Amino acid sequence: MNEARPNRSHADQARGRLLDAALPLVPFEGWSGSLLRLAARDAGMSDDELALYCPEGVISLIVFWWRQMDESARKSIATGESPAKIRERIRRAVLLRLEAGKGHEDALARARARLLLPDGIATGAELTWKTSGMIWRAIGDTSTDANWYSKRAILTGVWTSTLAIWLSEADAEKPETKAFLDRRIANVMEFEKVKAKVNKQLAGLPDFAAIAAKMRYGTR
Amino acid sequence: MAIRRPGPARNTDAIARMIRIDHAGEYGAVQIYRGQRAVFGRLPSKTRIARQLEHMEADEQSHLDAFDRYIAERGVRPTALSPVWRMAGFGLGVATALMGEKAAHACTEAVESVIEGHYGEQVKELEAMGETELAADFARYQAEEVAHKDLAVDEGAHDAPGYPLLSALIKTGCRIAIRVTERI
Repeated sequence: MNEARPNRSHADQARGRLLDAALPLVPFEGWSGSLLRLAARDAGMSDDELALYCPEGVISLIVFWWRQMDESARKSIATGESPAKIRERIRRAVLLRLEAGKGHEDALARARARLLLPDGIATGAELTWKTSGMIWRAIGDTSTDANWYSKRAILTGVWTSTLAIWLSEADAEKPETKAFLDRRIANVMEFEKVKAKVNKQLAGLPDFAAIAAKMRYGTR
Repeated sequence: MAIRRPGPARNTDAIARMIRIDHAGEYGAVQIYRGQRAVFGRLPSKTRIARQLEHMEADEQSHLDAFDRYIAERGVRPTALSPVWRMAGFGLGVATALMGEKAAHACTEAVESVIEGHYGEQVKELEAMGETELAADFARYQAEEVAHKDLAVDEGAHDAPGYPLLSALIKTGCRIAIRVTERI
């Protein structure tokens, strides 16, 4: 459950101030304990407040930042015209989500590296999964069965690899990222075609329940 | 459980869990009726029970549609085990239908009585949380499940061969499924 709250809580406002103070310092300090201390000092926050709002240290702040980018992307996906084709919708949504981190590529790349350390791996995976879920919900997906999981899993792969390209691309227009994303989406569509074919084949299987029914009750 | 305590009145996690379980339950119920209809559906001598099953399946389907909506609107994670419930439900439907009409009704009676109690508890919890709208919806579903149970009893569910064992087995299965789905 990650419903958008209309009013940010007191804790989230404090984390927002901390994040604003921290982001310009990331290139110098990395996502470290000293970054957190410096940012807290700049934001006028005591050690106890820091421990309260960021119980897991710098990872808590990364989580807050990431969820904030998810939230702003969700809003921008919801506003404006949504393309009719699913693949176009996904393309637009992924690009808007990348856009949310614009200007902070370096900090984002370092955050990603921080989440690859042992104490951040689980959090990193969870955040990626949530981003994937946010995108599917934002573009109006209503699946509630195994598709709910397979869609998120597939998009997680697309998102992670595209983010890596986006972070390393210097050009502000990101042409390489867009081409890469298009190819990944084409892969997914290929997979969907195979899935549809398999389902068609399976639909042709004999109806075992009806055969058993005839054996049990006769054809009367 | 139904005592109102201080603190946040709406526990979104608890509500998400309820929606996940009930969605899985309605999904399973649709599959059971589908399984039973797959057996009775094309037999000329069984049109009566086939029509009853069709009617009950339509009720379950409308509940399922409602839970699909709750999941989409509230961003609830659906159960990861829907393929399992699909096979288990359909299999239970086919098996009980092959045992006979009364066994099929005994299956309905067992499942619906577990669900009736389950909805009853949830309605109480939701009312305690102040989620009156959802509580009213759930109470309506509960009433329809009770109607299915009563129909099954009228049709002779209790006269099914091996009724106590069959009913106990199915009820236990339902309770296990509910516990598992709370988490997964």
